[in-house]
Amino acid sequence: MLLHLTDLSAEPLQAQIIRQIRAKILTGELSAGADLPSIRRFAREHHISVITVQRAYEGLEREGLIHSRRGKGFFVSDITDKTKKVMATEKLRDSLKPRLQEALAEGLNREEIKEVIRNLLDKARPKK
Amino acid sequence: MEKAFAYKNVIKTFPDFKLGPLDFDLEPGTVLGFVGPNGAGKTTTIQCLVGLLRADSGEMTVFGHANDLKKPEWKLNIGYVGDVHVFYERWTGQKNLDFLSQFYPNWSRERATGLAKRFNLPLNKRAKDLSTGNRVKLSLVAALAHSPRLLLLDEPTSGIDPVVRTEVMDVLFEILETGDRAIFYATHILPEISRLADELIFIDNGQVWYRTPKEDLTEKWRKIFFTLARDDFRLKAVVSHEREGHRHQVICSDFETTRRQLEKLGAESIQENPMSIEEIAVQILKGGRNVEVG
Repeated sequence: MLLHLTDLSAEPLQAQIIRQIRAKILTGELSAGADLPSIRRFAREHHISVITVQRAYEGLEREGLIHSRRGKGFFVSDITDKTKKVMATEKLRDSLKPRLQEALAEGLNREEIKEVIRNLLDKARPKK
Repeated sequence: MEKAFAYKNVIKTFPDFKLGPLDFDLEPGTVLGFVGPNGAGKTTTIQCLVGLLRADSGEMTVFGHANDLKKPEWKLNIGYVGDVHVFYERWTGQKNLDFLSQFYPNWSRERATGLAKRFNLPLNKRAKDLSTGNRVKLSLVAALAHSPRLLLLDEPTSGIDPVVRTEVMDVLFEILETGDRAIFYATHILPEISRLADELIFIDNGQVWYRTPKEDLTEKWRKIFFTLARDDFRLKAVVSHEREGHRHQVICSDFETTRRQLEKLGAESIQENPMSIEEIAVQILKGGRNVEVG
């Protein structure tokens, strides 16, 4: 699996793994039923400790994005488009909320903030 | 499962230094990073286990077998890279390896040759003509050629260039994939093992005093900013505390505990920032015993 995991980020490796695999699942790059590499293989391929991969998989499992089958490994769960939307919405809200609070604290008014978002949306293309 | 190794109440004293009592063990399948400044007692700890030093008291086992010098079978499970690399200086690297191979039934000449190639180590040179880096590499090849179940590595990449260091890491990750091998990796440079280690154990002044799953560090440690207009409080699980007027900055080892306390005290504008593992390690080594474990 191609991932970009770096030590040069404040984001812990575990969070980087979760975020990037989540994105692959939500965009459909990893489809329902696809199998993930075993924890130890993943650890070797990306030079990450076993505990980090294990906790990342556990995190993805708690989110309902993957599930384990005893002795067989981890698989991408079947997620409806509706659930995907709910998750994407939640993620967007979580990332925007602190930014909006900051912007308000720094003196932008609601209209000005909406204008910025409208602008960005016009230029935005889906990330592949 | 049988422990890869276990120290029970091990003490070693020198005229000006006391190590221990040491009480800890290592599960197969895991990597334990052994972190502490130079002179903390890391090398002594390992030398007691492999029998290069004799502990004053206590017991040590390797996969269940006591490290009894009269019955050296337990040594077959160990691959050890120490801080001094001892070879027959007039012999070539190859001859040194051939000599060692007779002590290990599991020794694989192909594996030794393959590792030497990967580490870019010439085996036809005499040991005395090898550079510092190449001596380390020869030690690594010697420690790995019999595929030991327990690797004891004491600063194993000092003097090695970054490309070969990556290759060494690659080999270690390969070894771990099987799931039944254990690595005990001593270093004073945490970034060296921040990706490899599952757990970290900190030593200073001969005392092991903090052991933690690595992920708990980044999950629990935070730098917290807050506003609070009073002085009459003491925070739990906090290793450093700075203030400018009513603004405070604390570094804590369990942010949920600290946050609950801050909320009770009536602190405002609480802002929690994650910390990198390197930042946390510096705090642990610097903040010493102020770290509240738990």
